[in-house]
Parts: sequence; C-alpha cells; structure tokens
Amino acid sequence: MAHPTQSGFQDAASPLMEELLHFHDHTLMVILMISTLVLYTIITMTLAKLTDMLVLDSQEIEVIWTILPAIVLTFIALPSLRILYLMDEVSDPHLTIKATGHQWYWSYEYSDYENLEFDAYMIPTQDLTPGQFRLLEADHRMVIPVESPIRALVSAEDVLHSWAHPRPGIKVDAIPGRLNQTTFMASHPGVFFGQCSEICGANHSFMPIAIEAVPLPHFENWTSLMIEDA
Amino acid sequence: MDVGSCSVFEAEIKKKQGERKRKSLHLDHFSLTTMLHLTTGRVGSLLAQRVTAALTSSSVRMASHGHEVAANEDLSQPMYWDSTNVPLPDRRYKVTLSSEDERLKQKEKGPWDQLSKEEKLALYRLSFSQTFSEMNQPSAEWKTVVGTIFIFLGLTGLIVWWQKVYVFPKPPRTFDDEWQAKQLQRMLEMRMNPIEGISSKWDYEKGQWK
Repeated sequence: MAHPTQSGFQDAASPLMEELLHFHDHTLMVILMISTLVLYTIITMTLAKLTDMLVLDSQEIEVIWTILPAIVLTFIALPSLRILYLMDEVSDPHLTIKATGHQWYWSYEYSDYENLEFDAYMIPTQDLTPGQFRLLEADHRMVIPVESPIRALVSAEDVLHSWAHPRPGIKVDAIPGRLNQTTFMASHPGVFFGQCSEICGANHSFMPIAIEAVPLPHFENWTSLMIEDA
Repeated sequence: MDVGSCSVFEAEIKKKQGERKRKSLHLDHFSLTTMLHLTTGRVGSLLAQRVTAALTSSSVRMASHGHEVAANEDLSQPMYWDSTNVPLPDRRYKVTLSSEDERLKQKEKGPWDQLSKEEKLALYRLSFSQTFSEMNQPSAEWKTVVGTIFIFLGLTGLIVWWQKVYVFPKPPRTFDDEWQAKQLQRMLEMRMNPIEGISSKWDYEKGQWK
C-alpha cells in the first residue's frame, strides 16, 4: 500500500508494471520539457519592453508548431502502443483463477484444484488489530505462486465491478455476463492490495482485494489447507 | 436615461391612460403609484448602474492609484497621447504657445548645439507630456491586488478552521499515532514497496532509517 502523503506510484510487482512506470517517467519528461518551453515563452513575451504592433500572421512558425507537436506525439505514442500490445500477450500461464465481483465482496475460484473457492470480505474498521490497514485488509487473500504467469478471469455476479491492484499493474473490469481475461506475474513475494474500481453501490469503497504472492512450496501448502477446510 | 426595464409598466399605463383620457384627466391612485414605481425603478437602476461603474470601471481603479484620467476627448480631432507602442502622437502636447515658447521654437530652427540643456528639456516638454521613463512608471495597484488575495486566503483559512472545529467528525482510530506507528512497522516487516519506496529507505540490519 502507499505510505501516507505518497503521491507517486507504488513500486512495481510485475514486469508489465515496470514497463508502465518507465513509460510514465518518459511521458512526464516530455511534458516537463514542453511546459518549460511554454513557461519560458510566456515570461519572455510578458516582460518584453518592445511591442510589435503590426504582427498579423506568420506561416513559418505555424508550420513549425504544427509539425513539432506531431513529432513529439509519435515519441509518446510508439512506447504506448508497444506496452498496449505487450499487455495482450498470452504467456502460457501456470494457473487460472476466476475472480468474481459481488455486491460487496470478491470470490475466487481456483478451478485447477478441486473445490477451491472462497469469498473475500473486507475486515471492518472496528475489527482491525492495531497496525492493520484500514479499508484494505480482506479476511481471505488470493494466494498465488511468485514468478509464475497467472491467468485471471474476471467477471461479476450482479453489477459492474473492477478488479484492480496498482502494484502488479492490473485493472480489469468485472462485467456481468462477460469473462475478461488478463495474465500477470508477480516478480517478488509480498502482499499487494487493491480496491474495487467501478462504482457498484453503497459499499463500493469497502470491497478490497488482497493478493499474496508466495514461493511455490508455500502456495502448495496453502492450497492443500484450503481444500481440506472446504 | 431610458432603462427599458419598465416597458411592461409603460404598456399598462398607456392602455389605462388611453381609456381614461376618453373619460377624464384627473390623477387617480393607480396612475400615481405606477408613475411612482416608474420613477423609483428608473432612479433605482440608474443608481445601481452608477454605483457599479464607480466600483468596478477601469478609469476609477486607475484614478485611485495615481493614474489620473483626463476628460473625455473628441476622437475626430488630432489627439495627443503618451504611449510607448505608438510614440509619436497626432499633435504637439502644448497647442497654444506663449511668447517665450515661440522664441524657443524659433531658436530650435537653428543649430541644436547652441541650445542649452534646460532649453532642450523645455522643448521636449512643449511637444510631449511624459518622458518614456514616466510612461513606464509602475503603479501601486499591485498592493491592492496582493492585499485582496491575502484577505480572501485569510477568509478561506478561517472557514477551513471553523469546519475542522465544528463540522468534521472524529477521524477513525487508524489515524491515532500509535496505530500509525504500528502500521508503519507492519509495512516495513511486510517489505512493502521494497525497490524505491518505503522499505528501501529502512536499513534492516541496523534497525534504523537509512
């Protein structure tokens, strides 16, 4: 989760999110250069002592300041498109998990295993133990093995929801009657929190998602325990 | 000054007066009150317009900050102006010259190195009202602007403080210092944001911030 007053992105937990962070840095640099140029122009024009009263038009600069932005935009568009297509690559996932949005909780089905299904509700603020994260902790976490490509199939039972976590860089809309697919991979172990990102009623802000990426042996332990408990 | 907003009244009046003209011309209660309304309406809106102009027009604001405004001019005649953009106006500043000025003008027709510095300055002031440096003098308007900004910032601050004291509910218990400290410790233990974020700033071996 973000620390208080954090304004930048959280660290990436998947290679795709790293790409997005780099792209964001690149785009912000372009914006910074343009803004500096514009600010400089504004200041010099405002503070200039002399005024040219007879300026009507100028074809040369009009051409320049049409072509130059077009070039700048290609510099932004090309990396953007590259990442867009990168996101759609299917990478031979090891595991398939179905995440279904309900009002107001998520349910997960690990269909590769028998009978591994559970619901994840938010832990209410009054039930938190000191140190837990308000509005982010869920009573069950979606456990995945680290460094394995995972296919997530996202859908909804009733109204629109959206399955989103910033650190792995996932946001998939949960649409009733439709199955949306995404693949992702956790680069390192940890707990990645996310929140529902499509307005879905009174408790839209209170249905978080917690993904826990653990080494494979621990994951296998967990699945065995969950199947036993079921 | 016709404000035009009382046309409804005027139409009514005309109708009623037209009818009454056929009967008699004495002033009855209705026409008196409507005429009073007309006048009050006209005077009232006239007053409102004058007040608005006085409070907001640029000439008034300029005059209150040292830029005196001259009388309204006939724009079809050659004008005088002081402008850095268009520095040479239609006519000389001083149109009617005294005999002393005439003498100076005659001397100007000769070689200029025979003019003293005061004479040159006097000739300049005949042709122009202000020098370039006088034209470019800043006004004191910035003080009004900055002062108004601060006043509004202060008012907003007052409102924000009042809201904090009288409106906002108590924050959740997770905002207590103790909880925040435990939360931070938990974030570090869970290695949240370990690459460039918060966990990367903590030295795990020494148990302190880097």
